[in-house]
Amino acid sequence: MSASTTLIACWLGLAVLSFASVQLGSAGATLLMVCAVLLAALGKAWLIADGFMELRHAPPMWRWLILSWPVVMAAGVLLALSVSL
Amino acid sequence: MSTSLELTLRPDASPTRHLPGDLAMWFFILAELTVFALLLLTFAVAQALQPQLFHDGRQLLDSSTGLALTLSLLTSGLFAALAQEQVRQAQARRGAWLLLAALLSASVYVWLKLGEYSHLANSGLGMEHNTFFTLYWILTGFHFVHVLLGLVILSWLAERCRQGAYGPGNCSALESGVLYWHMVDLVWVLLFPLVYVLN
Repeated sequence: MSASTTLIACWLGLAVLSFASVQLGSAGATLLMVCAVLLAALGKAWLIADGFMELRHAPPMWRWLILSWPVVMAAGVLLALSVSL
Repeated sequence: MSTSLELTLRPDASPTRHLPGDLAMWFFILAELTVFALLLLTFAVAQALQPQLFHDGRQLLDSSTGLALTLSLLTSGLFAALAQEQVRQAQARRGAWLLLAALLSASVYVWLKLGEYSHLANSGLGMEHNTFFTLYWILTGFHFVHVLLGLVILSWLAERCRQGAYGPGNCSALESGVLYWHMVDLVWVLLFPLVYVLN
Protein backbone atom coordinates (compact mmCIF):
# COMPACT_ATOMS: atom_id res chain seq x y z
CA MET A 1 0.00 0.00 0.00
CA SER A 2 1.43 3.41 -0.94
CA ALA A 3 1.97 6.09 1.70
CA SER A 4 -0.83 8.23 0.25
CA THR A 5 -3.28 5.31 0.31
CA THR A 6 -2.36 4.62 3.94
CA LEU A 7 -3.03 8.27 4.83
CA ILE A 8 -6.42 8.22 3.10
CA ALA A 9 -7.30 4.97 4.90
CA CYS A 10 -6.38 6.64 8.21
CA TRP A 11 -8.62 9.59 7.39
CA LEU A 12 -11.53 7.25 6.55
CA GLY A 13 -11.05 5.49 9.88
CA LEU A 14 -10.98 8.86 11.66
CA ALA A 15 -14.20 9.98 9.94
CA VAL A 16 -16.03 6.73 10.75
CA LEU A 17 -14.96 6.91 14.42
CA SER A 18 -16.06 10.57 14.60
CA PHE A 19 -19.55 9.73 13.32
CA ALA A 20 -19.68 6.75 15.70
CA SER A 21 -18.77 8.99 18.68
CA VAL A 22 -21.68 11.33 18.04
CA GLN A 23 -24.12 8.42 17.54
CA LEU A 24 -22.92 6.77 20.75
CA GLY A 25 -23.17 10.06 22.62
CA SER A 26 -26.84 10.42 21.72
CA ALA A 27 -27.57 6.85 22.87
CA GLY A 28 -27.57 7.70 26.57
CA ALA A 29 -25.39 8.54 29.56
CA THR A 30 -24.20 5.18 30.82
CA LEU A 31 -20.75 4.01 31.83
CA LEU A 32 -20.72 1.67 28.83
CA MET A 33 -21.44 4.57 26.48
CA VAL A 34 -18.71 6.69 28.06
CA CYS A 35 -16.25 3.80 27.64
CA ALA A 36 -17.27 3.36 23.98
CA VAL A 37 -16.88 7.07 23.18
CA LEU A 38 -13.49 7.19 24.90
CA LEU A 39 -12.36 4.06 23.06
CA ALA A 40 -13.32 5.72 19.77
CA ALA A 41 -11.34 8.82 20.79
CA LEU A 42 -8.37 6.62 21.70
CA GLY A 43 -8.54 4.90 18.31
CA LYS A 44 -8.60 8.28 16.56
CA ALA A 45 -5.64 9.56 18.56
CA TRP A 46 -3.62 6.44 17.69
CA LEU A 47 -4.52 6.76 14.00
CA ILE A 48 -3.23 10.35 14.03
CA ALA A 49 -0.07 9.44 15.94
CA ASP A 50 0.87 6.32 13.98
CA GLY A 51 -0.57 7.37 10.60
CA PHE A 52 -0.36 11.14 10.19
CA MET A 53 2.60 11.75 12.55
CA GLU A 54 4.39 8.63 11.22
CA LEU A 55 5.27 7.37 14.68
CA ARG A 56 4.95 3.73 13.59
CA HIS A 57 8.41 4.21 12.03
CA ALA A 58 9.81 6.23 14.95
CA PRO A 59 12.10 5.18 17.81
CA PRO A 60 9.98 3.23 20.34
CA MET A 61 10.46 5.74 23.19
CA TRP A 62 8.90 8.60 21.21
CA ARG A 63 6.17 6.40 19.80
CA TRP A 64 5.08 5.14 23.22
CA LEU A 65 5.34 8.60 24.77
CA ILE A 66 2.86 10.03 22.28
CA LEU A 67 0.63 6.92 22.15
CA SER A 68 0.36 6.88 25.95
CA TRP A 69 -0.92 10.47 26.13
CA PRO A 70 -4.47 9.63 24.89
CA VAL A 71 -4.48 6.51 27.09
CA VAL A 72 -3.76 8.62 30.18
CA MET A 73 -6.35 11.18 29.09
CA ALA A 74 -9.06 8.58 28.45
CA ALA A 75 -8.30 6.83 31.76
CA GLY A 76 -8.38 10.13 33.67
CA VAL A 77 -11.65 11.22 32.08
CA LEU A 78 -13.22 7.80 32.67
CA LEU A 79 -12.11 7.83 36.31
CA ALA A 80 -13.52 11.31 36.86
CA LEU A 81 -16.82 10.70 35.07
CA SER A 82 -17.42 7.28 36.65
CA VAL A 83 -17.79 9.07 39.98
CA SER A 84 -20.81 10.99 38.73
CA LEU A 85 -22.49 8.12 36.82
CA MET B 1 19.39 20.87 17.17
CA SER B 2 19.62 17.91 14.84
CA THR B 3 17.21 17.83 11.93
CA SER B 4 16.11 14.25 12.48
CA LEU B 5 16.83 11.31 14.70
CA GLU B 6 17.64 7.96 13.19
CA LEU B 7 18.38 4.76 15.04
CA THR B 8 19.84 1.73 13.33
CA LEU B 9 18.04 -1.52 14.00
CA ARG B 10 18.70 -4.79 12.22
CA PRO B 11 20.79 -4.60 9.04
CA ASP B 12 18.54 -7.03 7.15
CA ALA B 13 15.01 -5.71 7.78
CA SER B 14 13.56 -2.37 8.86
CA PRO B 15 17.03 -0.79 8.67
CA THR B 16 16.20 2.53 10.27
CA ARG B 17 13.70 4.07 12.64
CA HIS B 18 13.15 7.68 11.78
CA LEU B 19 11.65 10.48 13.82
CA PRO B 20 10.28 13.04 11.32
CA GLY B 21 10.93 16.74 11.80
CA ASP B 22 13.15 18.54 14.23
CA LEU B 23 13.75 17.01 17.67
CA ALA B 24 12.92 20.39 19.27
CA MET B 25 9.42 20.18 17.78
CA TRP B 26 8.83 16.86 19.54
CA PHE B 27 9.79 18.40 22.91
CA PHE B 28 7.48 21.33 22.13
CA ILE B 29 4.66 18.88 21.34
CA LEU B 30 5.23 17.06 24.64
CA ALA B 31 5.03 20.38 26.52
CA GLU B 32 1.83 21.35 24.69
CA LEU B 33 0.23 17.96 25.35
CA THR B 34 1.02 18.35 29.06
CA VAL B 35 -0.72 21.73 29.22
CA PHE B 36 -3.76 20.41 27.34
CA ALA B 37 -3.82 17.34 29.61
CA LEU B 38 -4.21 19.60 32.65
CA LEU B 39 -7.05 21.52 30.99
CA LEU B 40 -8.87 18.39 29.80
CA LEU B 41 -8.63 16.71 33.20
CA THR B 42 -9.80 19.90 34.93
CA PHE B 43 -12.87 19.87 32.66
CA ALA B 44 -13.56 16.19 33.47
CA VAL B 45 -13.17 16.69 37.23
CA ALA B 46 -15.43 19.76 37.17
CA GLN B 47 -18.04 17.71 35.28
CA ALA B 48 -17.81 14.97 37.92
CA LEU B 49 -18.47 17.59 40.62
CA GLN B 50 -21.36 19.29 38.80
CA PRO B 51 -22.83 16.67 36.41
CA GLN B 52 -26.24 18.33 35.99
CA LEU B 53 -24.73 21.73 35.22
CA PHE B 54 -22.46 20.20 32.57
CA HIS B 55 -25.34 18.17 31.13
CA ASP B 56 -27.44 21.33 30.79
CA GLY B 57 -24.53 23.31 29.35
CA ARG B 58 -23.79 20.64 26.78
CA GLN B 59 -27.42 20.70 25.61
CA LEU B 60 -26.78 24.28 24.47
CA LEU B 61 -23.98 23.11 22.16
CA ASP B 62 -24.67 21.53 18.77
CA SER B 63 -22.90 18.17 18.47
CA SER B 64 -23.34 18.23 14.67
CA THR B 65 -21.32 21.46 14.61
CA GLY B 66 -18.74 19.66 16.75
CA LEU B 67 -18.69 16.84 14.20
CA ALA B 68 -18.25 19.30 11.32
CA LEU B 69 -15.39 20.97 13.22
CA THR B 70 -13.78 17.56 13.72
CA LEU B 71 -14.08 16.58 10.05
CA SER B 72 -12.68 19.90 8.82
CA LEU B 73 -9.62 19.58 11.09
CA LEU B 74 -9.03 15.93 10.21
CA THR B 75 -9.37 16.67 6.48
CA SER B 76 -6.88 19.50 6.85
CA GLY B 77 -4.51 17.08 8.60
CA LEU B 78 -4.89 14.61 5.72
CA PHE B 79 -4.04 17.27 3.13
CA ALA B 80 -0.99 18.38 5.14
CA ALA B 81 0.25 14.79 5.41
CA LEU B 82 -0.32 14.21 1.68
CA ALA B 83 1.58 17.45 0.92
CA GLN B 84 4.55 16.20 2.91
CA GLU B 85 4.44 12.93 0.98
CA GLN B 86 4.43 14.78 -2.36
CA VAL B 87 7.44 16.90 -1.35
CA ARG B 88 9.35 13.73 -0.45
CA GLN B 89 8.67 12.54 -4.00
CA ALA B 90 10.09 15.78 -5.44
CA GLN B 91 6.62 17.14 -6.26
CA ALA B 92 6.95 20.44 -4.39
CA ARG B 93 4.36 22.34 -6.44
CA ARG B 94 1.78 19.62 -5.88
CA GLY B 95 2.73 19.80 -2.21
CA ALA B 96 2.05 23.54 -2.21
CA TRP B 97 -1.44 22.97 -3.65
CA LEU B 98 -2.17 20.33 -1.03
CA LEU B 99 -1.03 22.69 1.72
CA LEU B 100 -3.39 25.28 0.28
CA ALA B 101 -6.19 22.68 0.48
CA ALA B 102 -5.20 22.05 4.12
CA LEU B 103 -5.40 25.77 4.74
CA LEU B 104 -8.88 26.01 3.18
CA SER B 105 -10.17 23.07 5.18
CA ALA B 106 -8.77 24.61 8.37
CA SER B 107 -10.49 27.87 7.43
CA VAL B 108 -13.81 26.00 7.48
CA TYR B 109 -13.01 25.08 11.10
CA VAL B 110 -12.28 28.73 11.93
CA TRP B 111 -15.48 29.91 10.23
CA LEU B 112 -17.62 27.31 12.06
CA LYS B 113 -15.95 27.99 15.41
CA LEU B 114 -16.36 31.75 15.10
CA GLY B 115 -20.04 31.15 14.26
CA GLU B 116 -20.42 29.01 17.39
CA TYR B 117 -18.61 31.57 19.57
CA SER B 118 -20.75 34.36 18.17
CA HIS B 119 -23.98 32.42 18.76
CA LEU B 120 -23.03 31.60 22.36
CA ALA B 121 -21.88 35.14 23.13
CA ASN B 122 -25.09 36.62 21.68
CA SER B 123 -27.13 34.17 23.79
CA GLY B 124 -25.47 35.44 26.96
CA LEU B 125 -23.46 32.23 27.38
CA GLY B 126 -20.13 33.93 27.93
CA MET B 127 -17.21 32.94 30.10
CA GLU B 128 -18.89 34.15 33.28
CA HIS B 129 -22.20 32.33 32.72
CA ASN B 130 -21.31 29.22 34.75
CA THR B 131 -18.50 26.71 35.37
CA PHE B 132 -19.27 24.76 32.20
CA PHE B 133 -18.98 27.79 29.96
CA THR B 134 -15.94 29.15 31.81
CA LEU B 135 -14.08 25.91 31.09
CA TYR B 136 -15.60 25.64 27.60
CA TRP B 137 -14.24 29.07 26.61
CA ILE B 138 -10.83 28.49 28.20
CA LEU B 139 -10.33 25.01 26.74
CA THR B 140 -11.70 25.59 23.25
CA GLY B 141 -10.29 29.14 23.14
CA PHE B 142 -6.78 27.90 23.94
CA HIS B 143 -7.14 25.27 21.23
CA PHE B 144 -8.51 27.88 18.80
CA VAL B 145 -5.39 30.02 19.31
CA HIS B 146 -3.32 26.98 18.34
CA VAL B 147 -5.45 26.55 15.20
CA LEU B 148 -4.84 30.20 14.24
CA LEU B 149 -1.09 29.74 14.73
CA GLY B 150 -1.37 26.59 12.61
CA LEU B 151 -2.97 28.61 9.79
CA VAL B 152 0.02 30.96 9.81
CA ILE B 153 2.42 28.00 9.74
CA LEU B 154 0.53 26.26 6.90
CA SER B 155 0.50 29.50 4.88
CA TRP B 156 4.25 29.90 5.37
CA LEU B 157 4.90 26.27 4.42
CA ALA B 158 2.71 26.55 1.30
CA GLU B 159 4.60 29.64 0.15
CA ARG B 160 8.00 28.04 0.81
CA CYS B 161 6.85 24.92 -1.03
CA ARG B 162 5.75 27.04 -3.99
CA GLN B 163 9.21 28.59 -4.04
CA GLY B 164 10.74 25.10 -4.15
CA ALA B 165 12.47 25.46 -0.79
CA TYR B 166 11.76 21.85 0.21
CA GLY B 167 12.75 18.61 -1.48
CA PRO B 168 13.22 14.91 -0.80
CA GLY B 169 16.42 15.42 1.20
CA ASN B 170 15.50 18.78 2.67
CA CYS B 171 12.08 18.76 4.30
CA SER B 172 12.73 18.71 8.05
CA ALA B 173 11.21 22.19 8.51
CA LEU B 174 8.14 21.15 6.53
CA GLU B 175 7.82 17.99 8.63
CA SER B 176 8.07 20.03 11.85
CA GLY B 177 5.32 22.43 10.73
CA VAL B 178 3.07 19.57 9.66
CA LEU B 179 3.74 17.79 12.98
CA TYR B 180 2.53 20.87 14.86
CA TRP B 181 -0.68 20.72 12.82
CA HIS B 182 -1.19 17.03 13.64
CA MET B 183 -0.68 17.85 17.33
CA VAL B 184 -3.60 20.30 17.06
CA ASP B 185 -5.68 17.43 15.57
CA LEU B 186 -4.53 15.04 18.29
CA VAL B 187 -5.71 17.37 21.05
CA TRP B 188 -9.03 17.99 19.30
CA VAL B 189 -9.95 14.29 19.06
CA LEU B 190 -9.89 14.15 22.89
CA LEU B 191 -11.38 17.60 23.39
CA PHE B 192 -14.34 17.00 21.07
CA PRO B 193 -15.97 14.06 22.94
CA LEU B 194 -15.26 15.62 26.33
CA VAL B 195 -16.88 18.97 25.50
CA TYR B 196 -19.60 17.98 23.00
CA VAL B 197 -20.50 14.34 23.57
CA LEU B 198 -19.87 12.83 27.02
CA ASN B 199 -22.83 13.36 29.30
